[in-house]
Amino acid sequence: MYDAVIIGAGPAGLSAAIACAKWNLQVVVIDEFMKPGGRLLGQLHQEPDGTWWNGIKEANILVEQARALGVDIWCGVSVHHIEEVGQGWRVHTNKERIDTPKLLLATGAAETPAPVPGWTLPGVMSIGAAQVMTNVHRVRPGKKGIVIGINVLSAAITRELQLAGGDVVGMVLPPVNPITKDAGNPRKVMQSLLRISHLAPSAFLRMGGKLSRANWMQKLALTFYPKSGVKMWGIPIHLRKAAVQINGEKEVESVTICSVTPDGKRIEGSEQTMDVDFVCIAGGLYPLAELAAVAGCPFHYFPELGGHVPVHNERMKTPLEGLYVAGNITGIESAKVARAQGFVAGLSIAKETIQSADSAIDKHLENALDEVRKIRSNAAIQFHQDIHAGRNKMESIYKEQFS
Amino acid sequence: MKDSAIVICRCEEVTLEELTNTAKEYKCSARELKLRTRAGMGYCGGRTCRFAIDAILMEATGNQTPDQIPLKYQPPVRPVSFQTLGGGCHE
Ligand SMILES: Cc1cc2nc3c(=O)[nH]c(=O)nc-3n(C[C@H](O)[C@H](O)[C@H](O)COP(=O)(O)OP(=O)(O)OC[C@H]3O[C@@H](n4cnc5c(N)ncnc54)[C@H](O)[C@@H]3O)c2cc1C
Repeated sequence: MYDAVIIGAGPAGLSAAIACAKWNLQVVVIDEFMKPGGRLLGQLHQEPDGTWWNGIKEANILVEQARALGVDIWCGVSVHHIEEVGQGWRVHTNKERIDTPKLLLATGAAETPAPVPGWTLPGVMSIGAAQVMTNVHRVRPGKKGIVIGINVLSAAITRELQLAGGDVVGMVLPPVNPITKDAGNPRKVMQSLLRISHLAPSAFLRMGGKLSRANWMQKLALTFYPKSGVKMWGIPIHLRKAAVQINGEKEVESVTICSVTPDGKRIEGSEQTMDVDFVCIAGGLYPLAELAAVAGCPFHYFPELGGHVPVHNERMKTPLEGLYVAGNITGIESAKVARAQGFVAGLSIAKETIQSADSAIDKHLENALDEVRKIRSNAAIQFHQDIHAGRNKMESIYKEQFS
Repeated sequence: MKDSAIVICRCEEVTLEELTNTAKEYKCSARELKLRTRAGMGYCGGRTCRFAIDAILMEATGNQTPDQIPLKYQPPVRPVSFQTLGGGCHE
């Protein structure tokens, strides 16, 4: 029997497995994708200091380290249900059922939809799907595309598409509807881009940093926003244009876009059609916590963390005995933070499994917690503002209600 | 095409308009909205539209997003065969 089962072979799950194995625990990591690495496999971007973050390399390092320590990794296996039994957990997969005293959910994040008329046509995909096609499967999503949705994630992936030789005609906003809301409002989108401007390796966003100092300058910038967009890596970013409709008979042939006011209202008569054969929709990310929900874990809604998050403490424990969480399931952050959180979760599991009086593991755990805080503060990619506030709120909720 | 005609749930082909109207008319819970329209009840188990259904409901009813997940998750959270679920005769 395994001492612990880990669901998800992304940076969080793999580093948790490494931490467990270092303390001689027998662990298995289960992932439904055919390769281990999780979302790391799609990542390629330049850090503000000019170095490159190559996710495939980072994934390989973790996988090799885990395997060398004797960790089992099962790929292509989906977990469809978990339940508490006796002193532990029963994990139901499409292959077999396993029981374990300790279970870690490191299932990552999923993409939020941003519905656009015509989005069911073949050739329309989420920006994450385009990333996987390009960087994991090495297949070009199309000849010429457009990105709908302007945020940190779509900017990073659009750059990846470009590096892979894809032709992206531009990035536009989604139409405003009950689902997209602020993502279609130029003012709100600009503000969220400005928050990351000091971290961005791009001239456009750095220029934006200057604008963020004064509200009137932001207004001015939006009012006189260039009709041809502001270029980032040569790709036009259209903060004052929104997608109206995706057109095509049997597949994507073109996209109709229109100009919008600084508040996101459509300007009638400004429609224009652009010929494209693929469309990437970027709605953002939310924590993928379905298994925690099925287990009956309590949740809390935190917009700062990307949505509904299973209640947990800093040591990655949920209020349910033997159930742990780590990585993006606890809130949307970069891969480095997920990896550091995974290490904390692994040590937490090891500490409770071996229950030794040896204080060495406590020291490791304290160091690992410090590491998470440090990496979070220096993160180059921040998906949400106020991430610290969200984390602190979660910690006090756990303390007040569950400990 | 009008915005209201956007398909939100692909599996069951439920539109934005149908969801908004139903949410407004019945001021219902996420579960009731699902049962009335079948949105989220198709093959994928709501993996694509769940978030949209929640958002439409909050907008139509003017409610704040609650701390518990509005639309309950039910196992299996991935499509599985009856055989895997243990109902088959292979065991
Ligand atoms: C499309 C997309 C693009 C991203 N791009 C970036 C980026 O460029 N830079 C960045 O820093 N961050 C990016 N992120 C954020 C990313 O989530 C983190 O960087 C990091 O990968 C999170 O690590 P994790 O271990 O929590 O989850 P993940 O890396 O997502 O790994 C989770 C794993 O769990 C598996 N899994 C989930 N459910 C089940 C189940 N029921 N059964 C079996 N296996 C399951 C998945 O297959 C997956 O491999 C991106 C996220 C997404 C969704």
